[in-house]
Formats: sequence, C-alpha cells, structure tokens
Amino acid sequence: MSPSLDITRRHFLQDCRIGLGGMALASLLAEGNGQVSAAGSSAASDPLAVRPTHFPAKAKNVIFLFMAGGPSQFELFEPKEKLQELGGQQIPQSFVANKRFAFIKQDAKLLGCVRKFAKHGESGQVISECLPHLQTVADDICTLRAMKTDVFNHGPAKFFMNTGSPLFGRPSMGAWITYGIGSESKNLPGFVVLQSGPRGPRGGAPNWGSGFLPTSYQGVPFRSTGAPILNLDNPKGIAREEQERFIGAVNSLNKLRLTETGDGEIATRIASYEMAFRMQASAPELMDLAGESQETMQLYGVEKGKPSFAMNCLLARRLIERGTRFVQLYHTDWDHHGNKGTELGESLDKICKETDQGAAALVKDLKRRGLLKDTIVVWGGEFGRTPQGEVRDLPGRDHHIESFTMWLAGGGVKPGLSLGKTDEIGYYGVEDQVHVHDLHATILHLMGLDHLKLTFRLQGRDFRLTDVHGKVVEKMLA
Amino acid sequence: MAVGNWFRVILAVLCASAAGVACAEDVDYLRDIKPLLAEQCGKCHGPKKQEIGLRLDTTASALRGGDGGAAIVPGKAAGSLLITAVIGKSETVSKMPPEGAGLTEAQIALLSKWIDAGAKAPADEQPLAAPENKHWAFQPPVRAPLPSVRDAAWPRGAIDTFLLARLEKEGVAPSTATEKSTLLRRAYLDLVGLLPTPAEVAAFEADPAPDAYEKIVDRLLASPHYGERWGRHWLDMARYADSNGYTRDFGRQIWKYREWVIDSINHGQPFDQFTVEQIAGDMLDKPTPEQLTATGFHRNTLINEEGGTDQEQFRVEAVADRVATTGSVFLGLTLGCARCHSHKYDPISQIEYYEFFALLNNCDEPTIEVPSNLQIARGELEKRTQMRAKVKELEAELEKQRMQLDEAQKAWEKTVTPQQRARLPGPVQVAYDMLFEKRDAANKKLIEDYFRETDEARKAFPVLEDIFKLKQGEPNIPTTMILRERDKPRETFVHKRGDFLDHGAKVHGGVPAVLPAMQVKREATSGESKDKARGNRLDFARWLVAGENPLTPRVVMNRDWQKFFGRGLVETEDDFGTQGSLPTHPELLDYLAREFVEVGWDVKRMHRCVLTSAAYRQSSHWRTDLAERDPQNKLLARQSRLRLDSEIVRDVALSAAGLLTNVLGGPSVFPPQPEGVYDFTQDPKNWKAATGADRYRRGMYTHFWRSAPYPALTVFDAPNGNVTCTRRIRSNTPLQALTLANDEAFVECVQAMAQRIITEAPADQVARAEYTFRLCLSRAPTAGEREQLAQLARQETETFTKDLAAAKELLPKGLESLTSTQASELAAAISLCRVILNLDEMITRE
Repeated sequence: MSPSLDITRRHFLQDCRIGLGGMALASLLAEGNGQVSAAGSSAASDPLAVRPTHFPAKAKNVIFLFMAGGPSQFELFEPKEKLQELGGQQIPQSFVANKRFAFIKQDAKLLGCVRKFAKHGESGQVISECLPHLQTVADDICTLRAMKTDVFNHGPAKFFMNTGSPLFGRPSMGAWITYGIGSESKNLPGFVVLQSGPRGPRGGAPNWGSGFLPTSYQGVPFRSTGAPILNLDNPKGIAREEQERFIGAVNSLNKLRLTETGDGEIATRIASYEMAFRMQASAPELMDLAGESQETMQLYGVEKGKPSFAMNCLLARRLIERGTRFVQLYHTDWDHHGNKGTELGESLDKICKETDQGAAALVKDLKRRGLLKDTIVVWGGEFGRTPQGEVRDLPGRDHHIESFTMWLAGGGVKPGLSLGKTDEIGYYGVEDQVHVHDLHATILHLMGLDHLKLTFRLQGRDFRLTDVHGKVVEKMLA
Repeated sequence: MAVGNWFRVILAVLCASAAGVACAEDVDYLRDIKPLLAEQCGKCHGPKKQEIGLRLDTTASALRGGDGGAAIVPGKAAGSLLITAVIGKSETVSKMPPEGAGLTEAQIALLSKWIDAGAKAPADEQPLAAPENKHWAFQPPVRAPLPSVRDAAWPRGAIDTFLLARLEKEGVAPSTATEKSTLLRRAYLDLVGLLPTPAEVAAFEADPAPDAYEKIVDRLLASPHYGERWGRHWLDMARYADSNGYTRDFGRQIWKYREWVIDSINHGQPFDQFTVEQIAGDMLDKPTPEQLTATGFHRNTLINEEGGTDQEQFRVEAVADRVATTGSVFLGLTLGCARCHSHKYDPISQIEYYEFFALLNNCDEPTIEVPSNLQIARGELEKRTQMRAKVKELEAELEKQRMQLDEAQKAWEKTVTPQQRARLPGPVQVAYDMLFEKRDAANKKLIEDYFRETDEARKAFPVLEDIFKLKQGEPNIPTTMILRERDKPRETFVHKRGDFLDHGAKVHGGVPAVLPAMQVKREATSGESKDKARGNRLDFARWLVAGENPLTPRVVMNRDWQKFFGRGLVETEDDFGTQGSLPTHPELLDYLAREFVEVGWDVKRMHRCVLTSAAYRQSSHWRTDLAERDPQNKLLARQSRLRLDSEIVRDVALSAAGLLTNVLGGPSVFPPQPEGVYDFTQDPKNWKAATGADRYRRGMYTHFWRSAPYPALTVFDAPNGNVTCTRRIRSNTPLQALTLANDEAFVECVQAMAQRIITEAPADQVARAEYTFRLCLSRAPTAGEREQLAQLARQETETFTKDLAAAKELLPKGLESLTSTQASELAAAISLCRVILNLDEMITRE
C-alpha cells in the first residue's frame, strides 16, 4: 500500500471510529488560537478531501449508465448468423450441460434476432438499428463484447457489478473510489445516484452503499424532480436568511464548546453545517437547467420539467462539472423475458428510445466541452441475455452470464475499439473475455488506483473491490 | 490442464523411474517416506503449522487431508493430490514445496510406489506433539494480584487500580472527575438512552450523600429503559430488521424476538442463559414460548425471494452468516476467513470451519404463533378456530362457482395496468406474471386469494364478502421466526473454495481444537447413531458460555467497555485472533472476564462496577499534555465525548420536546419520514406515518426495511442489519446537519419543545433560553454561552415581533387563532429550540 493511502486507511481505522478529533484539532490549532476558519474543514477532518492517487490518473470522474435488468446483446450489438440459422431449434447440448438458469430449462430453443445490424464510423463498430444515436459516436466508444459475470439473479448480479460481490453489504465502486481519492466538490456529494424508468433497481440502496467503509462514501440518491436530496429544503416558513442566521447561531455556540472541550469532532460538526448550507444552494442550482442552451436540451432530448433518463444524463454532466467524482444513473427495466411489456419487440424499442439519445448526447457533449478525456462513461447492465428464447407469450430471453456487451468511452479508454469475441451462437466468450473483476480493476487503474492496494481491513481481512481477482485489461487503454 | 494430461505426466514419471533403483526394492514407510515428508513438507504441514489444514506427519492425517480433500488415495498414486503437487505440472494444484529444488524423480517414484502399495503405516503412529498455542486470547484469563499504586486515594475499585498503575508507570495523571451534571447525563444516556430532566439534575447536584451517584446508577439499572438501551446494542449484533433483505425485501414479523431481548435484559437474565436460549432455546427440555422466541437470534439472517434463485445457495449463505456472527459476537474470532481456505493467521482449518458450520446446519426454520397472555385469556385462539371453520364452509360452497370465479379472475387480470401491477404485493406480482394455466399450486392460490379480496370480486360474489368480513374480524395473533432442530441430521461437507456445490470431505459438528473441548452431555444410546453423541447445537451453546472458554467473557466485557469508553481494551472488538490488536490493559481485561464469570454472568453487576469507577467519572476534556502522548486515549487518562447512536439522537429530541411515547416493546412503528425514500427501491414499501402515540416511539421501534431503511437512522450510522455489527462507526456529515435541521420528525420536536417551554419556563425570554439549554444539555450555560443565548433570544423575539407574517409562517398547523403577541413569542421560541436541538452537544453524550 502506498504511503498516502496507508495514512488514509489508518486515519479511518484509528481516528474515524473514535472520532476525527485528534487530527481535526491539530489542524485547528495550527490555524491559531483554536479559532475556526471560515473554511472550517481541513483535509484531515474532511473524509471527502482530495487525496493523492497511487500513480498518475488518466481520468478524474466516472459516469456509470446502469441499464438495470440486463439488456440483450443479441438485439443491440451481437449479430450471429449461426443463431439465425438455428433459430427455433434446440441448443446443442455441449453448450448447456450442467448450466443453471433462472427461468428457462436447459432444452429451451434458440431464438434468432429480427433486428438489422451495420458497421458504423471509421472504426466499423457493429451496432443494431435499435440504437441510432449510439451509431453516431461509434468512434468514441470502446465496446466489450465478451463481458462475463458470475451471478444470474438480478439482485446479487447487480451487487456483483457494483461491489464485486454477490452478497449484500459490500462497498460499491463509487464508494471505493471516493474513499480512495475523495471528491473535488465542496458543495455537493462525491458520489451521486440518479434514477429513471418505472421503478427503482432491484437490490436498492446497497447497490451504491458504502458497506463497511464510513457512510460518508455511500452514494447519495438525487431525485430528478423537486428537491434532489432528502431534507434539502428548509422547513416550512424558513427563508434562506433565517437558515443562515440559524446556522450562524448553532456554530457560534458550537465554537464555544469547542474551545471549552478541545474536541475536534465539534470542528467537523461546524464544517458539516456550513457545507449543508452551501449544498442547500448548490443542489437547486445544479437542478436548474435554465442556463442550458436550447441546442443542448435538444441534443439530449430533454423536455423541461419532465424527468427522464436524458435529463439525468445532462445532470450527470453538470455534476461532473461541479466536481462530483462518481455519478451513477439507473434506468429500469431491461429485463426482457417475453411477457407483455417485457418482450423484445415494442418494449425493447421503447426503452432504447428512452436511453439511446441521452447516452450518445452525453458522450458528444462531454467531448465538445473537453470533459470526455477526464471522464469515463460506462454503459451496461448486470448481465446479458441468452441465445435461447423463453417459452412465454412473446419473444424474450433469459438472464445470461457467460457473455454480454458493455461499452465505455473517454477517460483513457481506447476509442473505436471493439474488444472480445463470442462463439458462433454468442453463448461463451472465446477471445478477450473481460470479467466484472477485470472491468473494476481497469476502471480503478484509469482513476490512478491500484486495485490490489485499495484495501480496507475488516474482520481480520483486507477487503478489495476486486476480492482476490481482477486484472487490468491493457488492451482497453488508449 | 485436462485431467488426462496430468495423468500422462504422472505415467511418464512413473515409467521413467520404474527403471530406477527405487522400484527395485520394497518401500518402508518409517525408513523412506516419513523422513522424506518431514523434511520436504513438515515446515508447513506438520505439527507447527497446517497450511490449507493439511498435516503430513502421520498417514492418518494425510488421508484426512486438507482443504482440497485427501492428500493420498491408497492404491492410487496417480489420483493422489500429494503426487500431483510434488510433480507440480497441474494448473489447479500448486507445485510443492513452493520453494527450493523440490523432490527428485526418484523420491517421487518412491512416494508413488508406497501409495500404490496401499500407503501402509504402523497402526500406532502418533502425531508429533503440537507446540502449545501461546496466543494470549486462547489462554484462560488469570486474576492478577492488584498492582500497588502511589495515589491510593484515586481508585474506587479494582478497575481504577489497574488503570492507575499503568498511568503512573507512564507518568500521566488521570483527569479530574467531571461535573456532577455531566456525569448524570453520561450515566443516563449510557444506561437508558434518555435525558435526565432538569429537576433530576438539580436534585442530584443538591444531594450531598456520598453514595448519591451510586443510588442513581442502581435506579437506572432497574429502569425498564435499560433493557431498551442495551437491547438495542444486542440487536446490532443480532442484525435485527423487519424485512427479508436482498432484492425483493418483503416484510417479516420477528418483533417478538426484540421484545424478548428487552425483557431478558431487564430481568437481569444471566448472560450464559441469555446465550443458551438464543443459540439453542428450542432444544431445551420442554422449551417455553419465550425460549423458542429467543432462537430468533439466528433467524435474523436474510432471505432471498427473487424468482429463479437456488434456495439451497441462500440457505447455505444464511448458515455461513450464523457461523460468522457467532464467531464475532461470542468468540471474537474471524471464522469467516476459513470458509474458502484454512485461516491464514489463526489456528482454524477449513475443516474446523465446516465442523463449526455443521453445528448450526441442522435446523429447520419455522414460524410460530406467540399469542399474548391476554389473547389466551380472552379465548381468541378458540374464537379464531370457529371463524376459520366457518370460512372453510363458505369456501366449500364457493367451489361450486369455480368456473365463474376463474372466468372473473381472468377478466380481472386483463384489466390490470402496468401501474397497478407495480403496486401488487411482491409475491402476487410474481404469480401475476405467469400465464394463468402455467401457475403452480402455490402461485395459483396467491393470486386467487388476492383477487378474491378485491372490491369487484366481493361485489360480484357476495360469499366472498362474507369470507372477507370473517377474515378481517380474525384476532391478530403475532408470529415469530424460530429455529427447530431436525430429527434427521443434515449432512455437512467441506465446501471446496467456499463453493456450496463443490463438496469435499463429510464432517461432523465440532469446535476448533485450539479451544477447550466441547462437553457432550449425553452418551449415545444403543439405538442411536454415533452422530448423536458428537455434540449438537445445545452442547455448543453451553460450550460458548462454559467457564473454561477463554474468549466469551473477555469478548463480552471488552465490548461493553467499548460502549462506555468509546473503544475496547482490545480495539479490534471482533478479532481476538493473532491479527487483532493486543489488549492495552491485559490484566484489567482478565480481571473483568474472571469477575463476570464468578458473579454468575451478571451483566448489570458488571455495568455497575464500571459506572461507579473513578475512570468512568473522569472529565472528557481534551488535554494538551496528552495530545502527542496518547492522542487516541488508549491509557484512559480521560473520558471521551461520544456522538449518540442514531436511535438515541431521535430519543433525546423526542424527550426534550416532551413528545416521547414511553411504551415498551410491541410491533415496529412508522414515524414520519421524508417523501421519496422508495424512489429507488424495486418494490414500493408500505409506509403510512402513524398519527397517534406511535408517531413518537423510541427510535429502536422504527420499522426497519433492509433495502431502504429509515433515513434518519442510517444517516447517523445505524447498522444496515445485513451482517452482525459489533461496533458502530460515528460519522459526522452534512447530511446529518440537513436531517436535524430540516427533517419533519425533528421539526415536530422543535415545535413541541417550543410550546413546552412557553408553558413551563419563566416568561422572560433570556431565562427561557437558559431553561431550554438546561432541558436539552442537562447543564447550566457558561457565561459566554449565556451571553450568546441572550443575544439569540432577543434577536429572534425582535425579528418576529417586527415581522408577524414571518412568525405565522413558522407556526405548526392548528394555531392560526393565536394573538399576534403569542404568535411572535412562539415563533421566537421555535427558532431558539431549533438552534439548541442542532448543537453538537445535543447529539453527544456530553
């Protein structure tokens, strides 16, 4: 472990649990006479203070577009001639011996795909007609076509994609990264979660939880209408000036107590109230899209006052601009099993329409603003879908963990790259397979963090985002 | 590497060596093999160390094997892991020994020959004596003689003498005793989690009796709220919650267990019985409903109800959690480390892990009804039986209309919109998603039952209305989740690399060899299988609290110490193994552990012992002389200021406001929470804020959904209830500020407190501010604080007298008829109360 992170770790193991007291006080004393400066927080007492990376970073921020439910790679990215040919037939036994599935039986029949595919951009990335906007940024994205995960149920698989473990209660990638290097924002949380679609993602809060890391690192859900954070608005009847007066009174009494007891926790409390007050102003400012040009709104396809995935994409850019380290967008529901409302026909069209433009616009907008080089955009779900169809009323596919597609853009990822091949029916990855642990290791690497060194000791063990696995995928690096 | 490949390698080696000298002679185990294994493997697989749980100093232990299974298969050298390892060409088995030249071909051939010939060894072969494990925590606690101290006046008891001896050695003086008011607040918050009233503070300050404080401590220990406060600590470890966790996170009923914890602690149940009933209450002779309820401790594990999951996988996960929890809570051991491989640091092999696992792997998980005495006395059970019989009759009658009912249900299902579908209860949704004809019996019934209670169904079929009414009128008998030992034991196997599908050797229940043996109370009777005498969950429960167990009393005393002083004598409260930290005061810890067992595991008595010590009574003020010497306060030359636990943050606000509903036990309640908590969950949760007395219950009774817990609890670091929590972190964040300042629940407290002080406090605005300060912080303000309070009171009064509209904006609903003077007075009081409720000290022990 590098010295800097070692200090961080010791700081949390020894000081945070007992209190940030000692270190905060030391920094206050250094400022003279125990007087608290206007800034209040010092690096030591601020768990989200920017901390050095293990080695120079390629990227500063992450925007993870989480396509909850598991998008079908066969309808979006992976045309398979052989699958078309064998459609309606039983899958050869060699593929499915000893496999378990959530719903289908081993003998389910293969399902061909009715979507049309073409190569796009100079790079010739293969993308289906379902994602016309993504086609226009084909040369900016890196597609991983042989992704692999370990778990085939939604909840555990989401935990796995987010935390590297199928179990409840491990720290998520956003938490690990803010724990490792803090956040640039002084007025907004370092890790923000946005949600669109008919309902929340399965598994809920542990997907962006801090697990055993201090709660300062958990993702803060922002709602896209009204006040974005719980309790952000003043209680009824309290104007901003009154709130300022109130914070002033609280803090001046707190300062007296600080002088009396010398407990640095009080200094942190003072800083917390100040930041809360700033957040009350900066969060609504973040949500206020009045300053965005008509052209930008059209680029994303945002309609004023109407929450959508596109609006969340725009908010993600605004968050990154304001220094938030990690933004995660969830959009439900890609779980196309083949019931009414969950089939690969109209339902898939609908969800593609909801997400395609916003995602592509985000890449374009970041690029033209010079932000893409510092920002990793990740698109994908918790797993993919089977080459077999389900026996339901309408066309649909079951959960598939052996191979699926994700894409990344920006932040030191090689643009225009198509990495990974699957077998002739798209069942298994056969070349350049990228496991979820490898993806995590690579994202950390781009952020300047060594996944082997970013650890937290618990119950006698040093835990990592990548557990005991993961290797950086060198081929993905620009 | 495919199996065939390494087989060929071995064959090649065997053939190559077949021509050599070694094969020409007979192999003698004692002469040829034993010294070879000792030399090449003994360092890591001998009596001293057993990497991957394997030792090779006897043939029997080689046969028993390690994490990967048996090391040798007699008669089959080619299929023996030992041979694969020493050849070192396998992709799945590491080359052995990992360093050095390794075995020569001749040596490998010799080994192979011995195995092929049946791996014969003398029957009386004895393992080499293991060096004694010297790790401190595995030694029995010893009562050391009291050290001598120079300042004989300071210590009030043995605790102080031990601490002072160390301080004197370091040349550090303890801190002076804190003010009486601070001490009182500290004791109240630590023992009952509530504020002392200003009158109680005044009475205590005025009481000159030398044992005034001791009397208070005794009173608090006898208070029913002591059970709530310490019950909540226990619930952290029991990972209590009101829902099943994972993705669907449906609700569950297990609050009777919470009630049992509170009652047991209040009744002063000795910790050994407290433990036995929770781990194995169902196996006691004729268990009472309370003893059955107690086994809920290990029913607080998660349940995965997602469609398509492998139930066995998550049952195994729950048992693994029980092992890890038992290890952390009672033994301070990180047993979970040995799930996939033998423990890297502590003397626990993977086999021992699964022996431990086996003890907890043999129960069913039923839910039972636990009617209250009142319900029994009222004959509610009989009443319900009659009602159910009537329902059955009606349902039989209904069967005649089966066709019409099915048709009506099909028609109804077609009208369900996606929005309505999303609002169906989770399990019903799952059934709804299946085709009508394809539903299995359980799912068919689920949705049928749901449909038959809809308004339209009841209108169309009057019998359904009758049934509905009968069901609605049924007495509500609470249920709870318990353990029940199976008659036929479940087989337990080692899970290779922790994979529940990959079975290794079969194991029987047992405890790690490094700890004292488990006493098995019964002999196997003639008709009984041998397994029964091997020790079961009940023997195990008794073993946990057997006097000779060196860990449990130390671990429990250390954790309680942590609550009173902010850190344990052993800082790693859940790891007493070799990777944990050493005790700062080993003799004191041993004293507490011995004393605890000798006073009959009487927790209250031990708490009294700590609370009445001089150490506990010290001031918590920061000392510059300790800043560099002891920044973490390991020497305990002062007390600590500790942020209150999340539930207590709520409790103190409610009690200062005079709103607190002081009812003990019962089902969980629903206080108000901000809008939008479930925007991010898979299924919207049911949360209708209570409007009556239940709106103001203590924080510990707040309904806890694991996937979306009550925000004001998590923001102050309440544990998530997914795994055991033996120590809460204490964060300090802006979201906490927003919660205290703006959350509806706290705003209500502020409003009520303001009305309270207007009635109770002197009319003078400055005196009123001081009164509020005392009410919330249990002490008088200092001169500086008094000045600021006065300024604040004047400023707010002035503001709201001038701006009556602003004042009226602030008032709670229903007070529109106040006069303008009253309105501005109340508004100023609200501002004042809001400031004081938000002070750091309000949510801190002192």
